[in-house]
Formats: sequence, structure tokens, C-alpha cells
Amino acid sequence: MNVEIRKENAKTFVKLTGRLDTTNADQFQKDIAPLMEEAKPDYEIDCTDMEYTSSQGLRLFLMLQKSVSSKGGSMVMTNMRPQVKEVFDITGFSNIIRIL
Amino acid sequence: MYFCSMERRFDPVEGKNAEIIETVMNCPEVVNLPEDVKFKVRLCVEEIEENILDYSGTTWVDVHVNAATDELKITFKDGGMEFDPLKRQDPDINAPLEQRQIGGLGIYLCKEMMDSVSYRYENGSNILTMVKKIK
Repeated sequence: MNVEIRKENAKTFVKLTGRLDTTNADQFQKDIAPLMEEAKPDYEIDCTDMEYTSSQGLRLFLMLQKSVSSKGGSMVMTNMRPQVKEVFDITGFSNIIRIL
Repeated sequence: MYFCSMERRFDPVEGKNAEIIETVMNCPEVVNLPEDVKFKVRLCVEEIEENILDYSGTTWVDVHVNAATDELKITFKDGGMEFDPLKRQDPDINAPLEQRQIGGLGIYLCKEMMDSVSYRYENGSNILTMVKKIK
């Protein structure tokens, strides 16, 4: 899983590429650590090239969303592939994370 | 009627997560499945295997892949302590963000994505079987 973080004015764009699973969840957690530090988070996460996530990935998206919400920030995940979206739908994550 | 596509013991099993997943995904009967079915198979193999490694304390896992014309059956057998992951309460998927817990999501995903998931404890081994219809 490759994580690109790009800041434009007050908004942060994140692009995810590849598979997020048990073998790289720890690295992903380190990669997104800066996003947990932001005082006023405003994140748009491009999921066009995110091929896969297991519950290991869901755990980290939940952690990120909780951090963003606790600071009154905003986070949206965009262009999710149907199979990945299904993982979010089945687990009810689509109700707690904004997906466009 | 099933025929065996793959039967392999991972001993020791520690650190073999990726190898187990790729071994199943590279079975001839799995390689040619539609992408959406492969996605589900990969996810469920990962979740079950994670669960075994987290809870059973086993040092080895046997993985069997059996195929029939219309379904795929994957069996995991381990020598750890008796543990039925299917008995675990399903997560509350309607809970608000603040109350959401991560535990149990993996097994829940398997139950939803496979056509059947079953567990038995036999001769000192945990045996978990999942079946996916492929036609």
C-alpha cells in the first residue's frame, strides 16, 4: 500500500494505491500518523487505486475517522472500488465514514 | 463431488500470513475465478488466518482447498487451544462512531461473504471450513 499525502492550502489530499492487509497495516499506520496530528483536519482520501482492504485496514480508517471527528474536522473517501465499498457497507462503516 | 486442489501444512505458522494467502490464491481453481469472488476468498482467508494466529496459540496450520464444479471449500486446521470464533457475538454495525469497536469484524465479514462457515473441534484440533458457491 502506497500513501501519498499532499497539502493544498488548508486541505489535505491523500492517495492510496495497492492492497491494505495484515502484511502492511503496521506500515500504513506509520504512514498516516501525520494525519492524526493535524489540529484542523480536512481530508480527501482518493481510493481509486486502493485494490483491497481487510479488517486490519478498517481498524485504521476507524481510528483516523475518530481522530478527525474528535477535532471537529472533515474526512471523505472518494472513488472507492465496488469490492472495497462492499467491505465498508457490510461492516456498517459506510454509515460512519463519508464515502463519495 | 470435491477434488483436492491444495493441501499444505504451515509449520511453523508464525510469520506465514502472506505465504498462506498467496498459496491459496495461486491454486488453479482459485486463479481462474472472477475477480469479485477472488477478492472475497482473499479477504476471508486473511481474516480466518489472523484469527487463528491471534487466539489459538497454535504452532502449525493445515490449509486444504477443495473444489467442486459449483463451489470452493477451504478448510483450516490447527492444533491450538479449543476456540470457536463463530460463537463470538457479531459486532454492532449500527453503532455510532464513538461506540464502534473493531473486534469481531473479520469473522463477521467472513460470515457475510461466504455461503457457509462452520467450526468443529475434533481430535485436539480446531477445524474451520468455509464454502463459497462459484456458479
